[in-house]
Amino acid sequence: MMISESFRKTFFSALLLAVALLALYALWVRYEVEPTTRDGKVKADIVQVSPDVSGWVTDVLVRDNEAVKKGDVLLVIDQSRYQLARDEAEENLETQQTSLAQAIREDNRNHALSAEVDTETMERGTEKVELLKLAVAQAKTALGVAQLNLDRTVLRAPVNGIVSNMTLQPGDYLTAGHGVMAMVDTDSLRVEGYFEETKIPAVHVGDKAQVRLMGVADPIEGHVESIAAGVVDREREDAPNTLDNVNPSFTWVRLAQRIPVRIAIDHVPDNLPLIVGTTATIDIKPRSGEPSVHRSWPW
Amino acid sequence: MIDELNIFGVFMPAALVWAIIGGVLAYGTRLALQRLPLERYLWQTGLLDLALFFLFWWGVSALADIFLPFAMAH
Repeated sequence: MMISESFRKTFFSALLLAVALLALYALWVRYEVEPTTRDGKVKADIVQVSPDVSGWVTDVLVRDNEAVKKGDVLLVIDQSRYQLARDEAEENLETQQTSLAQAIREDNRNHALSAEVDTETMERGTEKVELLKLAVAQAKTALGVAQLNLDRTVLRAPVNGIVSNMTLQPGDYLTAGHGVMAMVDTDSLRVEGYFEETKIPAVHVGDKAQVRLMGVADPIEGHVESIAAGVVDREREDAPNTLDNVNPSFTWVRLAQRIPVRIAIDHVPDNLPLIVGTTATIDIKPRSGEPSVHRSWPW
Repeated sequence: MIDELNIFGVFMPAALVWAIIGGVLAYGTRLALQRLPLERYLWQTGLLDLALFFLFWWGVSALADIFLPFAMAH
């Protein structure tokens, strides 16, 4: 009687313990092992649009948050000075062309009367023609530059995208090379997720991914496009020409690094605007077949 | 899979919420089983609490993974 009760107790206790451990294992796999992250962000390349020439803004043709196509005119810089510069270059070219024509006539005459003209004068004439040909070429180049500057007063959209954070008004003065507005390059929209390094072995380029934006029921379908090649080593300061500055040993609590994984978007639910910087949860769908990298236990 | 639940503006990991629901379910089940002579079958009755809790936690989270995305999309 005693033995059978003891056996019964041990049997049922072991059974319950096994059930508890199995459930715990399933939970562990679901929440700690499967490649999923709540730290995803919608991202796109941002273009800092800046003018190539300086001047007043005369026309602003776009509004804040407006979608534009590549090549659309964004704004026009005051053209009068660049128009004058172009006219001057054109006149300069004509001057040089007139001089060249005259020099050629003189040179031809010298050659026709070669018996009466001394060699030095002939050579000087030929030299003048050659120099003036170069001067004409230079004037043509200068005209090209002036025309280019004039063309560049019309600032065009460098990419397909959405104008962002633009407060420009006609009358503002723009300096060449200084950004005047940001453009979100909509062709480069993607989702980036920061996956713990322990989960990276389960992520492969091409894996299907499901992305959920905060507050949006329908998922975005995508696939893994690429995995970052590196992150900064925070244990060590990267200062050349000095001794290495390595942090002291910190053995107890280890924090997993997080690696950015780029998710290309394949399908977006209808009418869902993708806003750069919004938060996303990313689940990488499990692959069929053998794992290509063996993961350590208990992960 | 839903990994995040919005509880009055606080975004909580879904696992935590499933754990709370699992805990409540386990507690209720344990109350219902109070009449059984458990001490005759187990060395420690606490083992049952533990097993129930993990089972319910896992069950709720598995059910949520299956049905929640479907329910949200419709």
